[in-house]
Amino acid sequence: MQLDQAGYRSWEGQPRSPWWGCLSIVRIGLTLIFRRWVFWILIGLGLLNFLFHFAFIYLKATLAVQNENIAKFLDNYKVTGTGQAYADFMFAQATICALLLAFAGSTLIGSDYRQGGMVFYLSRGIGRWHYIVGKLLTIAAVVTIVTTVPALILFIEYGTLSNSFQYFLDNPRVLCGILGYGAVLAVVQSMMIFAIAAWVPRTVPLVMTWLGLFVLLKGLADAMRAIDGNRYWLLLGFWDDMHRLGRWCFGSLDESRIPSAGYCLAVLSTLCVVSLALIVRRVRAVEVVS
Amino acid sequence: MSSALNPTPALVELTQLSHFYGKFQALKNVSLTIAPGAIGLIGQNGAGKSTLLKILLGLMTPSSGGGTVLGFDLIRQRHELRGRIGFMPEAESLIPGMRGVDLVALAGELSGMPRRQALRRAHEVLSYLELDEVRYRRCDDYSVGMKQRLKLAAALVHDPQLLLLDEPTAGLDPQGRDAMLRLLHAIASRHGKSLILSTHLLGDIDRVCGQVIIVDQGTILGCGRIGELRQHWLGRFRLRWRGDDSGFAAALRGCGLIVQTTPREGEVVVEVPSDWQNVRFFEIAARHNAILSDIVPEEEDLPRLYHRLIGTDSRPASGVSAGRNKS
Repeated sequence: MQLDQAGYRSWEGQPRSPWWGCLSIVRIGLTLIFRRWVFWILIGLGLLNFLFHFAFIYLKATLAVQNENIAKFLDNYKVTGTGQAYADFMFAQATICALLLAFAGSTLIGSDYRQGGMVFYLSRGIGRWHYIVGKLLTIAAVVTIVTTVPALILFIEYGTLSNSFQYFLDNPRVLCGILGYGAVLAVVQSMMIFAIAAWVPRTVPLVMTWLGLFVLLKGLADAMRAIDGNRYWLLLGFWDDMHRLGRWCFGSLDESRIPSAGYCLAVLSTLCVVSLALIVRRVRAVEVVS
Repeated sequence: MSSALNPTPALVELTQLSHFYGKFQALKNVSLTIAPGAIGLIGQNGAGKSTLLKILLGLMTPSSGGGTVLGFDLIRQRHELRGRIGFMPEAESLIPGMRGVDLVALAGELSGMPRRQALRRAHEVLSYLELDEVRYRRCDDYSVGMKQRLKLAAALVHDPQLLLLDEPTAGLDPQGRDAMLRLLHAIASRHGKSLILSTHLLGDIDRVCGQVIIVDQGTILGCGRIGELRQHWLGRFRLRWRGDDSGFAAALRGCGLIVQTTPREGEVVVEVPSDWQNVRFFEIAARHNAILSDIVPEEEDLPRLYHRLIGTDSRPASGVSAGRNKS
């Protein structure tokens, strides 16, 4: 079509608040993640774990109707239904999610620095806080989809397939635990991956830094604990700190030999504040015009 | 009458605007008023163009001074202002993996449009920019020319009143450049959009813009309509003749005139004193068997205007080229 023939029509509408732009950023971010088959390998792993638990609950409920003894036997394994079981399930999901974020961080954040996405976002009607909130919400949504949502579905399934709905009334702490642990994972992981990807945008260095931060620090924490005997060295392992705080949410944390949840919360809060400072420093609107 | 009572508001109005990067002063007490239209922003590298663009776009707060763009205060109404400006950056500002239409729609949403309207408008703008056939292709697979037009589509999608264009023809081949300039000209002249075109290519500004801002070392050397800024040289003529080449030019020199040769045969540019009478050209030509065909008063072109204002000779200054389009 020739330019002369094509009409240019004006838009008369009223612009909405820039905070709506955050939702657009989340939608586009999730689309970019779930459109790539590479990420589906890791998402598939999480799905497999979830389906195993889902099927186990269903099997248990079916067997309970036929033979109560088998159900009691299966209860011994604590695969599901208890706070500890949900915490373990979420821990497994969170591990898969951490691997997913190691690669997705480059797509969601790193490419904005490497390929001009930052210029695209910040030269529109949104400010840098809208961009930061949008990106953090995107990562938090990925974490929630992989960890919290499956755990909630299992919780609902377990309660629904029991003889009565008494399970929901008897286990409010489990629900709080799922939501609390999910919130800890979503907040800490989104802040950390954003901060790291903003400063180390390339995929391989990002994966190495992200995993190194968890694995090496955990190794260091364990080694220092073994040498010194002081349990507070364990606080250096951020990954375990998240799990400890999660288990505290479920009410299943034994604080006799490990640092208490308060210390874990303090360490993770400090980590989040440092990450946010790094993010804010790196997201600069003035870089839009070269 | 009504126009006298309600004069057209200025597009940009800056008052004593300065900006510092540490101790370095990038903009020095800039005051200017620009009427709506197509405006060229020229200056050498480091002249302060980018700083001025950042401030006009509401990305940076000036160190002192202030002003308005489209009637919005540069300091207090920065966010409202951004929603009314379309910016086409020089850098490749695309999101890999996204389809063209989705990218343009996202640009609309980020500028405050509801999703449905942004998507519909993205289709319209892509058709307008002749990208309708590739709208569902991933934007990283686009050619350089397509990417430039996609960036323009993203800047146009929310129907801004003002477009800021940073080197819109960078990396384009001659045909692509010509098409882009035609497009910009159409946007400015037919659809009433104002645009500020920042470029090193004076030829681009010559083709698209009616006004120009010339920046050098943080100060505005010239600002206004190009026609008004041009010097009309009353004592400078371009002469064309047929016949004896060297004799006529030498005779003109012999009369005390300053004669500049041009690449064309039988053509010179002469500077004459104020008491000179043009009939003498014919007398000299007749004496040297030359037939004078043209005596054209010389008018300053944009490159000369630029170099006169920044105080350099006619050679292209660093980072600024005449960039004339042959087509």
